[in-house]
Amino acid sequence: MAAQLPEADAQVPSLALAPAGAEFTAPRRGWLRSLDVVIPAAMLGFLLFLFFVWPLFGTVGKPTGGNILDANIDPFSSGHLFGTDPVGNDIWSRILYGGRNSIEIALAVQLIGLIIGGSVGAFAGYWGGLMDSVLMRVLDVLIAFPALVLALAIAENLGPSKTHTIMALSFFSVPAFARISRAATLRLRERTFILAARLSGTGNARVLLRHVAPNVLPQLVTFGLLGMGVIIILEGALSFFGLGIPPPNPSWGNMIFDGQSILSAEPRLVLVPSAFLFVTVLSFNLLGDALRSRWSAV
Amino acid sequence: MSTPAVAADVTTGLRGRPGRVASSPALRLIGKRLATAIPVLWGVTFLTFLVVNRLPGDAAQQLLGINATQQQINELRAKLNLDEPFLSRYFSWLGHTLTGDLGSSFASDQSVTSILSERLPVTFELLAYALIVSLIFTVPVALIAARRPNGIVDRVTMAISMAGLSVANYVLALILVYVFAVKLDVLPAIGYVNPSDGLGPFLKSLTLPAISIGFPLFCFYTRLLRADILEQMQGEDYVVTAAAKGVGPWRVLVRHALPNSLFGLLTVVGLNIGTLIGVTVIIESIFALPGIGQALVEAINNRDLLVVQGIVLVLAVVVVIANLITDLLYAVLDPRIRYGRTAA
Repeated sequence: MAAQLPEADAQVPSLALAPAGAEFTAPRRGWLRSLDVVIPAAMLGFLLFLFFVWPLFGTVGKPTGGNILDANIDPFSSGHLFGTDPVGNDIWSRILYGGRNSIEIALAVQLIGLIIGGSVGAFAGYWGGLMDSVLMRVLDVLIAFPALVLALAIAENLGPSKTHTIMALSFFSVPAFARISRAATLRLRERTFILAARLSGTGNARVLLRHVAPNVLPQLVTFGLLGMGVIIILEGALSFFGLGIPPPNPSWGNMIFDGQSILSAEPRLVLVPSAFLFVTVLSFNLLGDALRSRWSAV
Repeated sequence: MSTPAVAADVTTGLRGRPGRVASSPALRLIGKRLATAIPVLWGVTFLTFLVVNRLPGDAAQQLLGINATQQQINELRAKLNLDEPFLSRYFSWLGHTLTGDLGSSFASDQSVTSILSERLPVTFELLAYALIVSLIFTVPVALIAARRPNGIVDRVTMAISMAGLSVANYVLALILVYVFAVKLDVLPAIGYVNPSDGLGPFLKSLTLPAISIGFPLFCFYTRLLRADILEQMQGEDYVVTAAAKGVGPWRVLVRHALPNSLFGLLTVVGLNIGTLIGVTVIIESIFALPGIGQALVEAINNRDLLVVQGIVLVLAVVVVIANLITDLLYAVLDPRIRYGRTAA
């Protein structure tokens, strides 16, 4: 059909070249083609089901307030899948509620990063000039500052709690999102469709919201997914210093930290939360990686 | 970091400037980067002062404990100049620092410079060990993986490296301790041996901490280097030229693609130094290494403001210098930047 148009002939060489690059990416058909996304997504879905839904229906004990008489029950005993810890709390239950804490914190931190960092970066990249320079210097300060120190100081200053952990960890995510979003906006700003929008009299706010944001967002969401693992690990690190989620409330970090002192006698106290930490972070990384390669192939 | 862009700015801004020295891109780059580093360093020290100052309780309270009377606390506070206003204390610290005097610890009276010279070597030895070992493994593994993309070696390498990226350093550290110190009893679980007390025991004492830091790094670097080499192999004209001239596949990989990919990797190594310093804080406290990270945590707990300030300042300077060296390497090694940007 297109060949009937005379000017289409000039386009043939470039059209013929396009599939040559694409043949690496699309050999498989149907749902198999999405296997790299489906598997980690299913793993994550299962973990999220365990952390958020299973305790509502399943027979899961309370994560705190265990009886000291039930201490150190072996794994796979009745009612205690992974046994109990030295104060008599069910480890399986603490894993599930700890996982819920980890996911909630990481999600909140990444959302704060996405919203604040993402919009600050987009503004800076779009307008450029003095505002951009000042903003980048501020980000340089935050990046040159050992961020863990800042997080420790904030958590220590405000006292350990879930909200304060989220605030402390946001100091990692906000500058990171701002950088990504600024770089993406800088690239977009030069594109023809943005120029066309501006030439046709579209206001700055509308250009940012309707043209820049939809194009930056997929990249930021992918970055956010990859960052979930980092934040979950950092949240554990805060617990390691006695900050983060305050005991006796469970978090994988404080479970690992508590188990550390009796590592040689009861390694499962460290190994079980570590395994869940690993699988969760791995799922986020695999999903983020698959989405990123898909996104960059387009 | 838009490193190449910064370097390119400097060189393109040079046109029409007289004088050989002034037009040396490297010197101009150093000048420009040092000028932007000053407000950054100032911001970091001010932020630290502000943050530590806002912590509940001060050094006087922490040192005297909860049984101290208000009068004792007030006396110590006056002695440590803690009763002066915040800004005047900050500027007096800044003035002393500019003359090279970092003050001394509230807790031990030891000078901050001597604390730094005691603790910094341990951390640097640990980081150097971790970096060297991870880079030694990265280059051959990435080459073998990139030789046959999607081959069996490549897939296994990618799977291992993805797993390595998903392990928290502290988890890896504890598992290593459990396997190598508790079960096999071949390496020490904690403690640090001075290099002057024998090189063997010194390396042994740092091996587990170095692996805890180095293995995830190795995974990260290998993925990066492999992706970069593959990009060079698939897209670049010089690779096609070399292959067309009859150069063997390994030789194209090692002699043509690798050098180009390698300094991309070095850039990432340089820019990542800051993140690594954060990691050492945790690893040092797990392995009870008397490094800068432990000193920092101690000082924060004691509200030992001047020690915190000194350490954060040194760490920020290290990060700034590492970034500067990375930019310089770029300018010196990459002809496209050395001779000015040709493509718009």
